[in-house]
Amino acid sequence: MKRAALLLLILASTCRTAQQSNPYTGQTEAVMAGAKLYRAHCASCHGAAAEGHETAPSLKTPRVHDRSDTALFSFLTNGDLKGGMPSWSRLPDERRWQIVAYLRSL
Amino acid sequence: MLRLSLISNMVLALIASLASAQESPYFVTYNHHMEEPGNLEVAINPVFGVPKQGNRAVASYLELEYGATGWWTTALYLDGQSTSRESSGFTGYRLENRFRLLMKEHRINPVLYVEFADVNGADKISKEIVGFDGWRDFIEPVAESRHEKKREIETKLILSNNTRGWNFAGNLIAERHLNAPPWEFGYALATSRPLALAATASECRFCRENITLGLELYGGLGEEGHVTLHETSHYIAPTIALGLLNGTTLRVSPGWGLTGNSNRAFVRIGVSYEGRLFR
Repeated sequence: MKRAALLLLILASTCRTAQQSNPYTGQTEAVMAGAKLYRAHCASCHGAAAEGHETAPSLKTPRVHDRSDTALFSFLTNGDLKGGMPSWSRLPDERRWQIVAYLRSL
Repeated sequence: MLRLSLISNMVLALIASLASAQESPYFVTYNHHMEEPGNLEVAINPVFGVPKQGNRAVASYLELEYGATGWWTTALYLDGQSTSRESSGFTGYRLENRFRLLMKEHRINPVLYVEFADVNGADKISKEIVGFDGWRDFIEPVAESRHEKKREIETKLILSNNTRGWNFAGNLIAERHLNAPPWEFGYALATSRPLALAATASECRFCRENITLGLELYGGLGEEGHVTLHETSHYIAPTIALGLLNGTTLRVSPGWGLTGNSNRAFVRIGVSYEGRLFR
């Protein structure tokens, strides 16, 4: 019984992870939309070419690229409020995934 | 004078739109979205009041909101009013601070709001409705009401949630004069959603993704020792926000009184520009 419950839990968490994969992976339009959103919301801190500034790091580093889509999405959603990165939960999920798609293209 | 105020507000709106982030469409209700750290938002918000009796009035406030940190937003408001066939003038200032209590997104995100206001009795911006506020507050002649000093402390518990593109927000308000109890209570509830959740690849100004529709419901809940809905005023206000280019947002919200103690209507307009204060 316990084993069945554990299996169910693992299955449920797998399903949740699957749901969280980027729905825009491989879509050029989404990358372009993400670029537009990046310019509107992110470029003032991270730079027009995501090269970084004194206040915000470059987004073209392995530190960003090695993260999963889900981790990037989660970071955009929660931010790092104590570290100066705002939460972008004000943007709908779809737009945050589009930004992730753009970040992947850098 | 009313016309002059109207024209000056429209000119300011035009200037701001030329200078050019899509903000929340709410005028009264707060949600958990804070100002981005280092960003300054400048907004002008005229409020056109239609009282049941007396002269029509335009109140307006200039808002300077700054993101001190990711979890702390501070703001200064400068209020003024112009009443038809009476007079115009500065009515006071407000200092506001909002503190986000949880550092991550949760199902419900609480924010603590603390405001100090030093305004006079002629202030008509009606940024929140508390206690037994009602239409009779608006008919006192400005020449008399401006001599009434109001030094108030106002606190709000802001609860807010984002689900599938929707924002749901509720505020519980407690306000009192610094040297004159009792505490007065009020509430504000709101929901909003952008017309399109995903962004398009091309730049656009009047497309669905830049338009957010919302609905606000707010009113008074009586006072300490007498919490009630009886003889209080309540309003319902649909609202629309249009994100323009380069950080400017235009918001419009007509609101209607729902009870006998309410004003007949308010029309609120807001133009805000947001940009980085320090590079």
